[in-house]
Amino acid sequence: MSGALVADRITKTFAVSRGGTTRELRAVNDVSLAVAPGEIVGLVGESGCGKTTLSRIMIGIETATAGAITYDGRPVRTRAEWRALRRSVQSVFQDPFTALCPTMRIGDALAEPLAIHGICPPAERKERVSRMLEMVGLHPDMARRLPNQLSGGQRQRVNLARALMLEPKVLICDEIVSGLDVSVQAQVLALLIALQEGLGLSLVFISHDLRVVRYLCTRVVVMYMGEVVEQGDVEAVFDHPQHAYTRSLLAAIPDHSRLSAGATT
Amino acid sequence: MAPVLAVENLSVSFPGARGQITVVEDVSFTLEAGQSLVIAGESGSGKSMVCQTLLGIAPGAASVTGTRIDWKGRNLLTLNEPEWQAIRGAEIAMIFQDPTAALNPLITVENQIIDAIRAHRRVSRAEARARAVEVLGLAGFPEPEHRMRSYPSELSGGLRQRVAIALALSCSPSLIVADEATTNLDVSIQAQIVKLLRELKDRLGLALIFVTHDLGLAAEIGGDLLVMYAGCAVERGPVKSVLTDPCHPYTRGLLRSAPTLRSSRANPLRPIPGQMPKPGSVGAGSPFRSRCPVVVDGVCEAQRAGWTSAGPGHDVACHRFALEGREGLR
Repeated sequence: MSGALVADRITKTFAVSRGGTTRELRAVNDVSLAVAPGEIVGLVGESGCGKTTLSRIMIGIETATAGAITYDGRPVRTRAEWRALRRSVQSVFQDPFTALCPTMRIGDALAEPLAIHGICPPAERKERVSRMLEMVGLHPDMARRLPNQLSGGQRQRVNLARALMLEPKVLICDEIVSGLDVSVQAQVLALLIALQEGLGLSLVFISHDLRVVRYLCTRVVVMYMGEVVEQGDVEAVFDHPQHAYTRSLLAAIPDHSRLSAGATT
Repeated sequence: MAPVLAVENLSVSFPGARGQITVVEDVSFTLEAGQSLVIAGESGSGKSMVCQTLLGIAPGAASVTGTRIDWKGRNLLTLNEPEWQAIRGAEIAMIFQDPTAALNPLITVENQIIDAIRAHRRVSRAEARARAVEVLGLAGFPEPEHRMRSYPSELSGGLRQRVAIALALSCSPSLIVADEATTNLDVSIQAQIVKLLRELKDRLGLALIFVTHDLGLAAEIGGDLLVMYAGCAVERGPVKSVLTDPCHPYTRGLLRSAPTLRSSRANPLRPIPGQMPKPGSVGAGSPFRSRCPVVVDGVCEAQRAGWTSAGPGHDVACHRFALEGREGLR
């Protein structure tokens, strides 16, 4: 499949030492995840379930203990292969405050990926930065600002813009809307949908907020203690959850739509 | 029943480069024992500042004014620091968003609660310790006798928040103020904490103020809801009434931008365009006018809207609603 990112039977163990004894912590256990072009896959579960570790393996920040990552049908193993992968697969992290260098102007931060991958003549970079800022709904003048002059929602859009500078095929988003106010969150979700529909971008969307996942994603993968316990189309999983953990997760979501339905399910 | 707390026309402002910057303006509400009030709004709406004034912990530069904050017959606006210390923690207690920052990392859970009790009550350590075991049990902390010697770092986030709740309960307050108390927790822990707060309110007859940006959580807490925007209260009423029949354009906008478990792309979320005005730049008119889809020309720029009734106990501060009712909101 062209542009598909596949994690095949990934296992990741960490060595944890406590009180002089070292034991093995299995953060991700035999998990497979495939993202087809243009698809938005939701990865849900609670803190410590392994969803972030899996996503970090998928972009090469962590290495898997066992299992393989393939992109476009080809395995990704060497440094050069990972470097090439990052032109097509980018990630946006949860905290918009720590993800940007505080002393680097926004325009420079956005131009940096172009310089690293050497894909755009320096003279044209400024123009591309302006276009990208507009695409994520920010004024091009923003390029001259420093991160501390921006609000949380603006910073998250800058992070998104930086990840999009290389025109990736797949974007890995780790809790990117959880720190945002609802009206800003709705703006970012609208942007993600526009990117998916307009550019055919695929997304791995990691979130603990199942309301957002239901709205945005086509498919959902539920993780619990390092393993996938349920996956399927969003409607199927949300309307007819099979696994007890998925049911308890859904029941725990605070939801005002239950008020109008008149029932607490 | 007479309310335990009656806030009348509370305003908070800070000195700025060009005069006072108002961050809370003319907010009023009442709360009875055993009842809950949810204050909802986005960052910068002033909801946390309201909480801080109820405990006398607003920053020193803040100027807190108002007609009266009536607490069991006393006016909180006139208290000095020693008087505050007698009330804070003993009669009005607070649970903060981040339990890691709220607890002292160098003191065991046991000693933190004992210290809090002995700061307010003349009791022996043994009596205070018995009370600590009791409140930890109330807060759903497992095996308090054995685990209360733990340090905060040895506990999970959910357990730390239970310790913070136990600490808040330790001196049997009449009012608990919870400011985004479940925001950092996992959803299943959040659901447990919300259930616990509701049970404690009913069982101990506590008054509860729950501050959140999540309308779903507001629905789970129940009671009354006060919606704030840019320092002003814009809508108030029973939670169910406000969320199922929102009558202020801002509340309606919030509900349209918040996904629910029934949301789908067939019925797209509609973000509120624009941004919240910066503190101090609201001016005389309706605070929401720059983003409002149903502005009344010549009126909304000129003055704040007064309260209009939208149902039993449900009021809205909106010129459009005052003129045309629900029809005017489209």
